[in-house]
Amino acid sequence: MRERPAVEIEFLKKRYGKFVALDGVALSVPRGTVFGLLGPNGAGKSTLVKSLLTIIRPTECRGSLLDKSIGDRKTLARVGYLPEHARFPDYLTGREVIRYSAGLAGVPGRIAKERAEALVGTVGMGDWGDKKVGTYSKGMKQRIGLAQALVNEPEIVFLDEPTDGVDPEGRIEIRKLIEAMREQGRTVFVNSHLLGEVEQVADEVAILSRGKVIRSGKVRDLTAGSRMFEIRSLGPVPPEIRGKLETAGLEVAGDRITVPAADAGEVQGVIDALRAAGVVIRELKEVRQSLEELFLSAVSSARQEGGKP
Amino acid sequence: MRAALAILWDSFRLLQARKLFWFALGISVLVALFYASIGFNAKGMTLFFGAKTMENPLLQEGKPEAAAFYVMIFTDVIVKLWLAWVAVVLALLSTASIFPDFISEGSIGIALSKPVGRLRLFLLKYFGGLMFVALQVTVFTTIVFVALGMRVGEWNLTVFWAVPVITFVFSLLYCMAVWIGIWTRSTLFALLGAFMMWGTALLVQWGEEGLYEISHFNPEAGVTVDFRSGTRSEGESREKDPEMVAMHRNIERAVLPLPKTRDATNYLKRLVRMKERDSLLSGVTLDDLLKGELPDPKKAAAMKRLENRHSAAYVFGTSALFEVVILSLAAWIFCRRDY
Ligand SMILES: Nc1ncnc2c1ncn2[C@@H]1O[C@H](COP(=O)(O)OP(=O)(O)O)[C@@H](O)[C@H]1O
Ligand SMILES: [Mg+2]
Repeated sequence: MRERPAVEIEFLKKRYGKFVALDGVALSVPRGTVFGLLGPNGAGKSTLVKSLLTIIRPTECRGSLLDKSIGDRKTLARVGYLPEHARFPDYLTGREVIRYSAGLAGVPGRIAKERAEALVGTVGMGDWGDKKVGTYSKGMKQRIGLAQALVNEPEIVFLDEPTDGVDPEGRIEIRKLIEAMREQGRTVFVNSHLLGEVEQVADEVAILSRGKVIRSGKVRDLTAGSRMFEIRSLGPVPPEIRGKLETAGLEVAGDRITVPAADAGEVQGVIDALRAAGVVIRELKEVRQSLEELFLSAVSSARQEGGKP
Repeated sequence: MRAALAILWDSFRLLQARKLFWFALGISVLVALFYASIGFNAKGMTLFFGAKTMENPLLQEGKPEAAAFYVMIFTDVIVKLWLAWVAVVLALLSTASIFPDFISEGSIGIALSKPVGRLRLFLLKYFGGLMFVALQVTVFTTIVFVALGMRVGEWNLTVFWAVPVITFVFSLLYCMAVWIGIWTRSTLFALLGAFMMWGTALLVQWGEEGLYEISHFNPEAGVTVDFRSGTRSEGESREKDPEMVAMHRNIERAVLPLPKTRDATNYLKRLVRMKERDSLLSGVTLDDLLKGELPDPKKAAAMKRLENRHSAAYVFGTSALFEVVILSLAAWIFCRRDY
């Protein structure tokens, strides 16, 4: 029997007064995967996560979280959360923040202490664990934030813009930590407007724009839909062959020829034609549309549709 | 249970981190030590562990008046000036930011995403804020208790009534700060709200007491006040003016929905009991004792009636009702809001 998804939203709507922040979202997050919820600022990503965690009350909501209906309080003991712009009391030390979170989640004191000990090490804060949070840099706060989100050994962890304000080195480490969570069998739900980063870790993504999911699926499938090949010649492509290629619908720019093709077989004809004309081929590579391009095109087409009366 | 411990422990850490907490505690200890330094010898009262003597025919070593007076310094001076006034101001200044900080973006999410109900969270956080005063008053009262035992030989546990009563007085103002703080998310408005409520309540309570004096106490004690020259003269009891009595009754009704911060503090005097005082010094004021003379029985009786004019239900019951209403409003906003 297949396990039910960690998160299964059938229908989620949230209105703030007249403003519709989430307009009937549906999505599903398989267990044990890293799921990226992408979208520009103001798309409603935080609103979605907060709805799942009872931080806001959705206007209408059907769905399940870890097999219990969304909004069930007990389920939250099995959930970890790092809020966007997370702030911890300045007067607590890193270790105390972790133990406070553990206490709220109902983790017994002795176990919480052990875990806090292990977690400060895991997130690379071993030397700083006993210093006050008020003295931390943004990156350090995020690390402690990740540690406190894991202290109850959650089945699913929600990270809202985890790399926000963190330097590049710190971002790489956070990515590694996310991968480690997946290896431990946790489901990780990451909100981000930084696509490049999510692309590197996420198994599946959904793109949210103006409260609607406009694309979703496996990263591999989404980016495969627009596969291209790129051929580069030594020196610019001669004008006569360039004309022929362009009439055949290929794009030629200097020494670069872009061939839309689902697989490499379809490119061979172009190579033959080039070789026959004596063009020296320097490079041939498969080009996947990056998530960023996919995102931009999806968001802008959604905007255009939305703009129509 | 664990969640409760976590929240209370967090509140405790917060207080520990506040400089004002230590400042207030430091002064508390000084004030309590000053109190402990008051003693009595054969001539009168001594201050600063016997360094200075103030002669007084009533307040002398071994006299029951001295013992009663010693308790009275606590209930009439120290409780009113220090505990119910300065200590409460300091506590409000230190605790007004608790809720605005707690519900700030990026901070509240951690607590709300846990398997703890919102109402529980709210109440625990609220009680955590009361710890500030409860701890201060406990330390203070313990010193006073010991001082009292050593100085006048009476180990009087009723002085510990100060802990719940003063904490209650503080909670009447703190609930206001909590409500406004949750509503506006602003510490400044929370403080303003609490102080305005306090000011209003005080004014009305003063007004009520003033009117009681004019309409009941003065006629009973035979005191006449010449308002032009400001002189008081004492004579025979006289009839009460029904109009004034009615006016007093009206203002008493008007105070009904307000928190009785001052009355509650005054009530402490009735809760801290001493074997001797009730019969011996009933209705005698601190001023009388400092002057070294006892008032005539008619005036003392009138004073006693003034002190006892309100029932516990009036003082604590209506105040508690006020607190419940304000807290319900605060809890309602806290539990229903989208963060
Ligand atoms: N408490 C709130 N009241 C009113 N509007 C809100 C509230 N929270 C968020 N919004 C609005 O909802 C939209 C989505 O916000 P959010 O979920 O934070 O977006 P994201 O996380 O994708 O940047 C934004 O336009 C924001 O202004
Ligand atoms: Mg957001």
